[in-house]
Amino acid sequence: MMIDNELEIAAHKGHDGIFVEPEVPVLVTGAAGFIGRQVVGSLLKKGLSNIICLIRETSDLSGLKRIIEDEQGEGKTRIIEGNLLSFEDCLRITEGVKIIYHLAAGTSTKSFSEAFLNSVVTTRNLIEASLRHNCLRRFVNVSSFAVYTNLNKKTGRWLDETCPVEKHPETRAEAYCYGKVKQDELVMEYRNKAGLPYVIVRPGTVYGPGKFFIPGRVGIDTFGIFLHFGGSNPLPLTYVENCAEAIVLAGLVPGVEGEIFNIVDDNLPTSREFLKLYKKNVRKIKSIYVPKAIGLLFCVFWDRIAKWSDGQLPSAFSYREWAAYWKKTYYSNRKIKDKLGWRPRVSTEEGLKRFFAASREYLKK
Amino acid sequence: MLRIGIVGCGKIAEAHAEAIKHTPEAELVATCDLEILMARQLAERFAAKAFYDDLAQMLAEVKPEVVHITTPPQSHYIIARTCLEAGCHVLVEKPFTVNTEEAESLINLARAKSLKLTVGTDEQFSNVAMEMRELIKQGWLGGDPIHLDVYYCYDLGDERYARAFLKNRSHWIWQLPGQLIQNIIPHAVMKIAEYLNGSKIKVIAEGFTSHFLKNLGEIRLKDELRALIVDENQTSAYLTFSTSFRPPLRQLLICGPENSLLLDQDHQALVRIPGRTYKSYLDKTLPLNYLARQYRKNLFKNIRLFLKKKFQMKRGLFNLINFFYESIKKDGPEPIPYEQILLGSKIVDSIVSEVYKDSKQN
Repeated sequence: MMIDNELEIAAHKGHDGIFVEPEVPVLVTGAAGFIGRQVVGSLLKKGLSNIICLIRETSDLSGLKRIIEDEQGEGKTRIIEGNLLSFEDCLRITEGVKIIYHLAAGTSTKSFSEAFLNSVVTTRNLIEASLRHNCLRRFVNVSSFAVYTNLNKKTGRWLDETCPVEKHPETRAEAYCYGKVKQDELVMEYRNKAGLPYVIVRPGTVYGPGKFFIPGRVGIDTFGIFLHFGGSNPLPLTYVENCAEAIVLAGLVPGVEGEIFNIVDDNLPTSREFLKLYKKNVRKIKSIYVPKAIGLLFCVFWDRIAKWSDGQLPSAFSYREWAAYWKKTYYSNRKIKDKLGWRPRVSTEEGLKRFFAASREYLKK
Repeated sequence: MLRIGIVGCGKIAEAHAEAIKHTPEAELVATCDLEILMARQLAERFAAKAFYDDLAQMLAEVKPEVVHITTPPQSHYIIARTCLEAGCHVLVEKPFTVNTEEAESLINLARAKSLKLTVGTDEQFSNVAMEMRELIKQGWLGGDPIHLDVYYCYDLGDERYARAFLKNRSHWIWQLPGQLIQNIIPHAVMKIAEYLNGSKIKVIAEGFTSHFLKNLGEIRLKDELRALIVDENQTSAYLTFSTSFRPPLRQLLICGPENSLLLDQDHQALVRIPGRTYKSYLDKTLPLNYLARQYRKNLFKNIRLFLKKKFQMKRGLFNLINFFYESIKKDGPEPIPYEQILLGSKIVDSIVSEVYKDSKQN
């Protein structure tokens, strides 16, 4: 059974107009990434014709180039190499830019310092540089659901933009969460001290061809067999193209400065449904369902042992992690639908079909 | 209580801060990084009271007794020199310096100022490495080591990570004279330098690019090394560095006139290999039983160490830092003798110069 998202019944408030002229310079950082290249594609679809795609010298450009070609974006896009850790690079790439979609981030590190460096220091450089040029109209900061805490919420409650974020992200054993919380804090600080016209978007679990994994909210395979923690929890999925369009709208729709938007699709599957479909459509994996109470006990027990062990065991599991990822939560996309007029164009059913087909192909290779 | 400062607040600084946190009678009082945000995040996470983006200011205001230097190696020399001149004891991450000349200069300065100086080659202080040292002291080998064989491997990750590494030419590793080899082998070199003697060291080294990297189009970076090192007493050592081996071994075999020892860094196992042989088929059975018992003992020893909370992943760094602080407090000998640091530095210099001699000629 698919869970009906509460907002399926919400009234549609579309915004047809965009608040920039098509030739306005737009910068997309992390443009070669999984979401970034789709953001470029979505901007091209919306008629933008002056898109600067910032990539790192280490980026694989094949996906981005394919999308630009598909959208006939040659001449409307410029691919620029740069390092956001270099202020000079930031000054160069933000010159004349009026809208920034900031997607570049450190995603695959276990080191808190590295996550901080690649999320916060880079963002500070980008903001400082763009403010120097004094022409920035919108700064879209791409955050994540990872920043939310469910610590003090009852099970089965709704998660929306009003929910609290981690106050002590350093205590979550997740460098990415730490980096993103600190990045959001920095962006908000710049609103107060320099009037930064930001919008923060927080995608749920972004999936689609190009990213081949079972989301951690479903479970973990650390111990050789897949431990299925998610059970009947809804998964906050957002198909990569839907997510990209939401991000693009956050940069174009007028009057939403200072707002935060969560991005999740409609008709979200439960963790159990996702795993069943994955096994049926991609590959057979051995899994054990871990009932909620046992999952919670496991996390609490692990945390105790980790604390007792004086740093021998990493604090990989704790009540905080359990609450953030495996406490039953429903996800609202009412605000983004109401204020940005966003609607997921690709249904979850279709998105999963594409994702599973691509995963099958990937595994064959 | 020793007052500690850290300069360079990246990934490796976290391991130092964690070790300092667990070290009795030591307190992290300040952090410093050219990027103030980095200094702040480390200070906040490890409860240091102050953070700086100016080393001179940190030294003047906080007056730390010890400074840990965890910056890229090219800056080790100047930062260590500044700290020593300010009267601080200094722990420098590996590679200690870019060359022996710099190493000598720092050691001379530390001696002149009666300050302690050491290098963060922490694997020399892992539980098993210390056990090995003790066994050798007790005479298990039956004399001085005759030969050492060290394997030190490094996993470049899958193709995607390797490509990213290769493309990232602005990384400081590319600016080191010996690039990847110079950054990684100090751990292996210091393991053998401990058991070699004298200043006249002969080094024959061959470095090359692995098939894995060649397939990715890389031809300049040397990521494979085979070296023969012989000291003036004819104690010899083979050093193998590879990014291709699976598993990526980190082992040291020390052969003595009577017995040998095998240190397995990955599994934290120390195996005594007795020199005794048996007649006929007994030699195919009894020693195997002995070796099996050795591995079982290592298993139980590791469990015991875990229960005693002495089995951290970076236990070597914990131990090294403890020994270093003890040497400061008691004005005792440095955990790594200066002669050993210099010898290690000379070996690395010789290897780098052999391996990259073609590039120099070009």
